[in-house]
Amino acid sequence: MTAPRVRRIHPQKFALWVGIISMTMLFSAFTSAYIVRKSAGNWLSFPLPDAFFYSTGVILSSSILLHMAYKAFVKENYQLFRGLGIASSVLGIVFLILQYQGWIALNDIGVFLHTNQSSSFLGVMLLAHSFHLVGGLAALSIVLTYALRKKTLKLTPKRQLRMELVCTFWHFVDILWLYIIVFILIQQ
Amino acid sequence: MGFLVGALCIILFSVFLVQIGKARELASTVYNDKSEEYAINTFQAGFGMVFMIVFLLGCIASFVYYMPYILGWGPYTAASEHGPVVDRLFNVTLLITAIVFFITQFALFYFAWKYRGRKGSKGIYWAHNEKLEMVWMIVPSVVMTFLVIGGLQAWNQIMIDLPDDHKSVVLPSSENEHIEIEATGTQFLWILRYPGRDGKLGIRDFTKIDGGTNPLGQVWSDPNNIDDFHPDKIVLPVGKKVRVRITARDVLHNFYIRDFRVKMDAVPGMPTYFIFTPTVTTDSMRRRLKERPEWQVADKNDPNKQRWETFDYELACAELCGRGHYSMRRIVKIVSDEEYLAWIDAQEGGSLSAEGQVEGVKTQYFANIKGTAADVLASSEEMKNYEGIMAAKVKANAKIEAAAKDVSIMAQVQVPLKALRLATTAADAEKAFSEIDRITAGYSTVETPVMDTTAVADTTAVEIDTTAAPTPH
Amino acid sequence: MADISVTDQDLHHGEDHGDHGHDDHHGDKYQSSFIDRYLFSMDHKTIAKQFLMTGMFWAVIGAGMSIIFRLQLGFPDADLSWLQPLLGGWIDINPSTGVGSLNPDFYYALVTMHGTIIVFFVLTAGLSGTFSNLLIPLQIGARDMASPMLNMFSYWFFFLSGVVMFASLFLNTGPFSGGWTAYPPLSELPQASDGSKAGMTLWLLSLVLFVVSVLLGGINYITTILNMRTKGMSMFRMPLTIWAFLVTAIIGLLSFPVIASGFFMVLFDRALGTSFFLNEIYVAGEALTERVGGSAILFQHLFWFLGHPEVYIIILPAMGIVSEVLSVHSRKPIFGYKAMVFSILAIAVLSFLVWAHHMFMTGMNPFVANIFVLFTLIIAVPSAVKVFNWIATIWGGNLRFNTPLLFAIGFVSLFISGGLTGLFLGNAAIDIQQHDTYFVVAHFHVVMGVAAFFGMFAGVYHWFPRMFGRFMNETLGKIHFWGTLIGAYAIFGPMHYLGMAGVPRRYYSFDTFSAFADFDMMNKFMTIAAIVVFLIQILFLINFFYSIYKGKKQTTMNPWEATTLEWTAPINAGHGNWPGAIPHVHRWPYDLSRYEDRDFVPQTEPLAEGEIDGGH
Repeated sequence: MTAPRVRRIHPQKFALWVGIISMTMLFSAFTSAYIVRKSAGNWLSFPLPDAFFYSTGVILSSSILLHMAYKAFVKENYQLFRGLGIASSVLGIVFLILQYQGWIALNDIGVFLHTNQSSSFLGVMLLAHSFHLVGGLAALSIVLTYALRKKTLKLTPKRQLRMELVCTFWHFVDILWLYIIVFILIQQ
Repeated sequence: MGFLVGALCIILFSVFLVQIGKARELASTVYNDKSEEYAINTFQAGFGMVFMIVFLLGCIASFVYYMPYILGWGPYTAASEHGPVVDRLFNVTLLITAIVFFITQFALFYFAWKYRGRKGSKGIYWAHNEKLEMVWMIVPSVVMTFLVIGGLQAWNQIMIDLPDDHKSVVLPSSENEHIEIEATGTQFLWILRYPGRDGKLGIRDFTKIDGGTNPLGQVWSDPNNIDDFHPDKIVLPVGKKVRVRITARDVLHNFYIRDFRVKMDAVPGMPTYFIFTPTVTTDSMRRRLKERPEWQVADKNDPNKQRWETFDYELACAELCGRGHYSMRRIVKIVSDEEYLAWIDAQEGGSLSAEGQVEGVKTQYFANIKGTAADVLASSEEMKNYEGIMAAKVKANAKIEAAAKDVSIMAQVQVPLKALRLATTAADAEKAFSEIDRITAGYSTVETPVMDTTAVADTTAVEIDTTAAPTPH
Repeated sequence: MADISVTDQDLHHGEDHGDHGHDDHHGDKYQSSFIDRYLFSMDHKTIAKQFLMTGMFWAVIGAGMSIIFRLQLGFPDADLSWLQPLLGGWIDINPSTGVGSLNPDFYYALVTMHGTIIVFFVLTAGLSGTFSNLLIPLQIGARDMASPMLNMFSYWFFFLSGVVMFASLFLNTGPFSGGWTAYPPLSELPQASDGSKAGMTLWLLSLVLFVVSVLLGGINYITTILNMRTKGMSMFRMPLTIWAFLVTAIIGLLSFPVIASGFFMVLFDRALGTSFFLNEIYVAGEALTERVGGSAILFQHLFWFLGHPEVYIIILPAMGIVSEVLSVHSRKPIFGYKAMVFSILAIAVLSFLVWAHHMFMTGMNPFVANIFVLFTLIIAVPSAVKVFNWIATIWGGNLRFNTPLLFAIGFVSLFISGGLTGLFLGNAAIDIQQHDTYFVVAHFHVVMGVAAFFGMFAGVYHWFPRMFGRFMNETLGKIHFWGTLIGAYAIFGPMHYLGMAGVPRRYYSFDTFSAFADFDMMNKFMTIAAIVVFLIQILFLINFFYSIYKGKKQTTMNPWEATTLEWTAPINAGHGNWPGAIPHVHRWPYDLSRYEDRDFVPQTEPLAEGEIDGGH
C-alpha cells in the first residue's frame, strides 16, 4: 500500500507556519495570564491612545501594500514591486514610531509600565509584538536588498518562495497586532 | 597527596579495563563464531537474573531496615487527625505499586533470560493481541480510578477551609471553634504570631513593617493587635482544631511540620491556610520513642540525656528561599489544655511591680507601642478592657504565687484560674479574680496594683475594683 | 531487491540546478572547508554529532557539580579545602578550625546549575537534538532537513546559550542559585540572594537563547517528518523513533513559548519595575511598596506549563529509541505498534493537562487540584501500556545481548521504578507530605536522570556505526552498563527512604533538625555511589572517543540487521545520505522473524504477491 504523499505545501512554507504556531503560543500565554490576572481584581482601566488605532491602520495598509508588491513581483513588474516593497517597509517603521508615541501618550496620562498590572501586561505584549515586527522588517529588508540590486532583481522560483514567506510572516505580524488590540478593547 | 594517589589508581584501573576491552574485541573478531555470541547472551542474561534477584531482595531488605524511619511506620505514625489518612493512602499505593513493581521487574529480566539468543532459537512474529492489550489497559485504569477516588476524597476533606462562621478562640470548647495562629516565613526564620486571649489575629500591612519594633507590620489601630504576641515556638493544646495562617515576608517559603503531615507554601502577599488537629502530645511521643533502641542513645547536644528525652516536633521550611533555607527551625510543642493556657499566660506576661503597678506585659503592643507616638488605642474601650483583664490577672497570679505551697489551695484554684486565662472581658477576669482571691484568702500579697498609665495623655485611670481585696496580715 | 526510483525525491522538481532547494552545491565541493564542514555544517549528521558532543560536555559538568554538592551532603564535617584551587572563594574556611566547607550560597548555585544543565542542555538538546537530527532524514528517506540553515542555527543558538551559562559560573556574585525552577520572588530580588544578581540575568539570557534553539530545531523536525518522507513512507510505516521525535517536537513547540513568556515577564520585573510576580514584599530592610499586585504563583503556572511537557520531551525520544533497539536486538516486531503510537499521542495531549501537580501545595483552590490529580493518574495508563508492550516485545524474542540491548532493558527497569513513584506524587493528598522531599528527588532522578540517560546510551551505542562507521567496544560498554545500572539504583534507591522519612530537599545540611539528622550513613553511601557512577562514565567517554578513531570498523551497511532506512545509506555517508536515488518504502519497519527462511525484511523490499503489510 503506497502512502498518499500529497505535496500541497512547500516544506519551507510549512516550516514557517509551524513557527507561526509557536509564536502564537507565546501570545496565548500572555493573554491567558492577562485574563486570569484581570479577574483577580485591582485592575486599572485606561483608554488606549489614538496612536494605537492609527498604527493599526498603518500596519493593515502595510500588509496590503506588501501583498500588492508580491503580485507585482510575480508579474515581473519590478518598478512597482520595488516601490510598493519600500513603501510597505516604511509603513512598518511608521508603525513602530506610532507604537512608541502611543506609549508616550499613556505615560502622559500617568500610565507607566509599572503603574498597574494592566499596563504591565499591555507593555509586555506591545514589546513582544514589536520584536517580532522588527524580525519581519529584517526579513523584508533582505528581500528588498536583493530587489534593489539590478543584477539580482529577477523572478525565480526561489525568490518567489522567499517573497511568499516574508509576506506570510508579515501578514502574521499584522494579524497578531489585530488580535492584541481587539483583545485589549474587549477586555476594557 | 591522597587525592593524587586516588586519581592515579583510577587512571590505571581505567587503562586496565580499556586493555581488557580491546583484547576481547580483538579475540572476538578472530574467532567470529556464533557460539561465542550465545555464551555472551547466557552470561549477560544470567547476570541480569542475578541482578534482578539481588535487586528485588535488596528492595525488601532495605525497606525492612528503614521501617523505623518511614513515616507511618515505626514510631512515626502521624500525630494529627488527618495524618493517618495521608499515611494510609501512601501505604495502599505502596502495596499496589510494590505488586506491580515486583511482577514487571521479574517479567522483564526473566523474559530476557528465557528468550536470550541460543543455538536454534528464533523470534516469534507476534506483533499484537487485542485481548491482552485491552486487559492491560483496563486493569491499570481501574486501579488508578480507585487510587484517584480515595485520594481525592482525602484531599478535599483535608484541604477544605473552615466555614465563615467558625470562630477563632484561644481555647476551643465546641465544634464550631478553632485556634488561629500565624506563621510568617522570612529569610531565615519563622515569625510566629499568636492572637492572644481574644483569639483574633490583628490586621497587618507590609508597608508598616519595621525590622525591630514591628516585624510583621501590624496595624496598631486594630484592637485585635493589642494582645497578639510573638513567641519563639509553637505551643498547642492536644485535640483542638488549629488553623494556621501562613504568609511570607520576602520570598516563597513553606510551612512544614513533618509529624503532623502539615505542609503549605508561604507566598508573599497571598495568605494560605492549613487546618489540622494535633492528636499526640510531645510527652506521649517521647514515651513512644523511648521504646526504640535508636532513640535510647545519648543525645548529640546533651550527653546527659537520651535522644527521646529531647525530642520535639519541628517546624521546617520546605521551599527554597535562599542560603539559609535549611536552618529555619522552630519547635512545636503539643501539651494539655492547662499547660497551653499556662504558656499563653507566661507569653502574655505581666507582673506586679514593687509599687503595685502592672508592668512587663509582653505582647507586641505593650512591649513596643504602648505609650509611644504610635499608640492610638490608648483610650479605646478595648484597651481599657484589656488593661482591666491584665490588672485582674496580675493580681491573681500574685495571690496564687503566694499560696503556691498549699497543695489543696492550688487544686481548688485551677477552675477560676482557667476561667481567668480564658477571660476576654475585664468583668469576667475580675470575677475570676474574686474567686481566686476568696480561695487564697489568708495569703499575703502586695498592694492592689494599678495599670501603669503615666505615659497616657488621658489620665483618667482605669477603674480597679478594690473592694474585694482582703486586708493583708 | 530494493526498489529505487529513477527520479529523486527532491524539493523542487524541474528547477535549474543552480537554484537548489538547499544551499548551493558547487559540484562536489559542498561545504568543503574545515570551518564549513565541521563547525558551521549544515549537514544533519554533523549537527547531530555537534549536539552529542556538546551534550556530553555539559553532562560531565553537570554531573561533576552534583559530585561536589554530594560531597557536602555526604561528608558535611569533612575538610573540603582541597577544592579551593578549583572553587576558590566558594569554599568557606572556618578561621578557627581551618576546616573548609562548601559555601551555602554556592551549594545552592551548584544545585541550580546541575538541574538547569542536565534538564535542558543534556537531556533536551543532547538527547532530542542528537537523535532527531541524526535519524529523521535517514529513517524517513530525506537528503537532509527541510531547512539545513535553520538546523545549523538551532545548534549554534544552543552553543551560544551554553557559553552564556558557562560565563555565569565565573561571576563574582556567582551563578543563579534559586533552583532550576527559578521561582520568584527569590529569582527576581537581587537583595534576597547573591545568585539573583547578575547570575540570574545571565541564566535568563541563556535560556531565552536555548528556547530559540529548541524552537528552530522543532520546526525543522516537524516539517521534515510531515513533508519530506520518501515514497511509500506513510505515517504508520514510520519507525517509532520518528513518531517519538515528531510528537516531542510538537510538544516543545507548544510549550516552550509559554515559559518564554514567563521569562520575559521576569526580565520585565527585574529590569523595568513591573510586578508581574511580586506582591507585598519586605526584604533587606525595605518594604517594596511600589511592587504590588502580582502573583508569584502565576510564574509557577507559566513555568510548569512547559515544565511538565518538558519531562515528556525528555522521555519520549528515549522511549522511541528503546522501542527501536529492543525490536532490532530481540529480532521481533515492537509489540503493539499502533498502541505505542497512540500512547505517545495520548501522553502528549495529557502532558498539557497536568502541570499543576507540581503546585498542589501552593494554596490553589482544592477543587481545581482534583482535575490535575485525575489527569495525572490517567497519564499513567499509556505509560503502563508502553512498559507492557516492551516486555511483550522481549517475550518470544531471540535476544542479542549487546550493549544497546542492555541499556534498553535497563531503561525499562528504571522507567518502571521511577514511573511507579510518580503515582504517589500525583495523588494530591499524598503529595501533602511528599512535596519537596527527597521522594520527589528520587522519583525524577530515576525516571529522568537515569532512565532517559539509558535511552540516550542505548541510542549512542546502537547508532555509533551510523555516525562514525565504527563500533564502540562491547566489553567496555557492558562494564559501563552494569556499573551504571547497579550504581544508579544504589544512589537513588535509598533516597526514596529519605523522602519517606520526610527529609526535605534542597537542604545544605541536616544538622539543624533532629528529625532529619538520622541519615548520615545513607548520605555517605549515596555520595560514594555517585562518585563511583561518575567515574564509570569515564569508561564511556574513553570508549566513545577512542572508538571514533580506532573502533572496530563497520564492514557491512546493516550490521544490526535492522529493517529501517538509515541502514540502507552507505557507511560514513556524505551529504545527501544516498549516493543515488533515495530508496522507496513498501512495508512497515518491523518485519523481523516473520518468515521462516529469512530473519528480517528491510522496509525497502516490495511486498510479495499476496503479502499483507504488517501492522495492518
